[in-house]
Amino acid sequence: MSAAGPSALADPDPWRAAADLGLRVLAAGRWPESGADAAPPVLPGFTGSSFSPLAAEAARRCLDAHASGPGAALPVTAVVVASALGDVAGAAQVARAVDGGDRLGPLLFFQAVPNAVAGHLAARRGLTGPVVCVGGVRSGFEVAEVLLADGDAELALLVLVEQAAGPGGADRAAAVLLALQEHCPTHRQLEGARP
Amino acid sequence: MTDTVLTARRGPRSVVVGGMGVLSAFGRGVEPLLGAALAGRAGFGPVGRFEVAGRRVDRAALHPGEPSLERELDRVVDEACGAAGLSAARRAGCPLYLAVHGDPALARAAPVRRAEHAVEAFAAGVARRAGLAGGGRAYTSGCTASADAVADAASAVARGRAERVVVAAGYLVEADQFAVFDAGGALARDGRVRPFSAGRTGLLLGDGVAAVVLESADAARARGAEPLAVLAGWGRAGDAHHVCRPRPDGAGLARAVGAALLRGGVGPERVGYVNAHGAGSVLGDRAEAAALLRALGPVAERVPVSSSKSVHGQALEAGALLELVVTVAALRAGRLPVNAGLLGPDPECPLHLVRAPDPVGPPTGPVAPGSPGGFALSLSTAFGGANTALLVGVP
Repeated sequence: MSAAGPSALADPDPWRAAADLGLRVLAAGRWPESGADAAPPVLPGFTGSSFSPLAAEAARRCLDAHASGPGAALPVTAVVVASALGDVAGAAQVARAVDGGDRLGPLLFFQAVPNAVAGHLAARRGLTGPVVCVGGVRSGFEVAEVLLADGDAELALLVLVEQAAGPGGADRAAAVLLALQEHCPTHRQLEGARP
Repeated sequence: MTDTVLTARRGPRSVVVGGMGVLSAFGRGVEPLLGAALAGRAGFGPVGRFEVAGRRVDRAALHPGEPSLERELDRVVDEACGAAGLSAARRAGCPLYLAVHGDPALARAAPVRRAEHAVEAFAAGVARRAGLAGGGRAYTSGCTASADAVADAASAVARGRAERVVVAAGYLVEADQFAVFDAGGALARDGRVRPFSAGRTGLLLGDGVAAVVLESADAARARGAEPLAVLAGWGRAGDAHHVCRPRPDGAGLARAVGAALLRGGVGPERVGYVNAHGAGSVLGDRAEAAALLRALGPVAERVPVSSSKSVHGQALEAGALLELVVTVAALRAGRLPVNAGLLGPDPECPLHLVRAPDPVGPPTGPVAPGSPGGFALSLSTAFGGANTALLVGVP
């Protein structure tokens, strides 16, 4: 369990992190992916910050890349959002408005927590598993593993998103669709366990 | 959508609550909080901690003064570890799962300094000062964040991956979240939280900082400690419905309750009390009532239900843990927290609400919560359609 900072997203190796925990990566997506991803995508209903739009776009690319194909119904799928700083652009915007005595828009209400974009993804793609948000990449993989191993979900969509922490940084997001590795002894021993 | 996660499973070890620490609008410690909850004495008053001129609502449930989140987290973790009788050596091997909105300093930090305010660095600071194991995991899923921390800690203990975990959470009412909740029209215009009541107008924020020690029953027994409660089950499920509105039929929350009961090996008839999420919002309370009817069947019409938010307010990321503390304390007292603020019945919330303080005497209810075999549920929901259920029983 490490407090993975924003740099952890610079070169994430989701396959290794997943394999260490007995998980397999079914699909992956990210933003930016290429030079074509110059301007952050727009996500209707979300305003003033790239956090949710980037998370949604990386997740869309991941789910569309899954073997079942775009639009296919998924089994019970958890959504885990991991971010070290959260929606820092949105938080700074609210702080400036509060300190300046400005009016706040009503959309900022639900954007204040990372659950909002998880709910957007869940509603759009029919993901009925748990929604959990954590503060680091490693924690995200560990929580996904718990939800899968304990049978709360069959698949877990893990979305990693970080906005530029300071000048010169870049906003980025990555998403992986995770499942338990088959025949993993750690997971099999839990079948039917009771205290 | 089925109502039960039939695949929900858990490790074989029994999980217990070894110690608790808390701060609320009623002061420090469990007793003042429990006293207010059992009496139905709401703690809402005018906000003097920051500027509320220009806001539609000016009330919250506040601890006096300007408490510091770091200091109060340190204090409750120490209180919980002390109550559990953990030595420094045992603390040193114990991880911390912390639920917070974020490092309070982040939003106003200079851009070049923001990276220093990562939420898991904040959690690691709490762990270091408390003498807990290094690292520190942070949960940020809004009003279900601390229930997520409890569920993951319980899973780790049940599976034998950890002997014990300290779960802590904190929210102290501050200007930014107050402003966005006010702008969203979520705050109760009449200055009271009235869960499941006719005429309810919304939620109010409240201070909450809490910590619990979750450990294996064997570990507690081995050092001669007497656990406060058994964490018998936990469950989580999503609505897949909307960015911030609850699913009207309550199916997601019902699946979370079903998973908690399944993990606990407990049928609905053994649930003697439900501490509902009950924020006091029109849509949320209605959906929660639907979820309880769906998950508990006929039992839902007679099991005592209240939302302790009606006295201590909504503590956001810390809410689920604050309410778990209330639920465990009530279970041990064998008395039921009151659903304060009721104006009249809402036909769309046909629940058996706890309307008045229990007379001091033998415990009441279909299964008296303090009696052997009595269990209580503590429920939470959050934006994004997140739903959690925690099931506790007496040891």
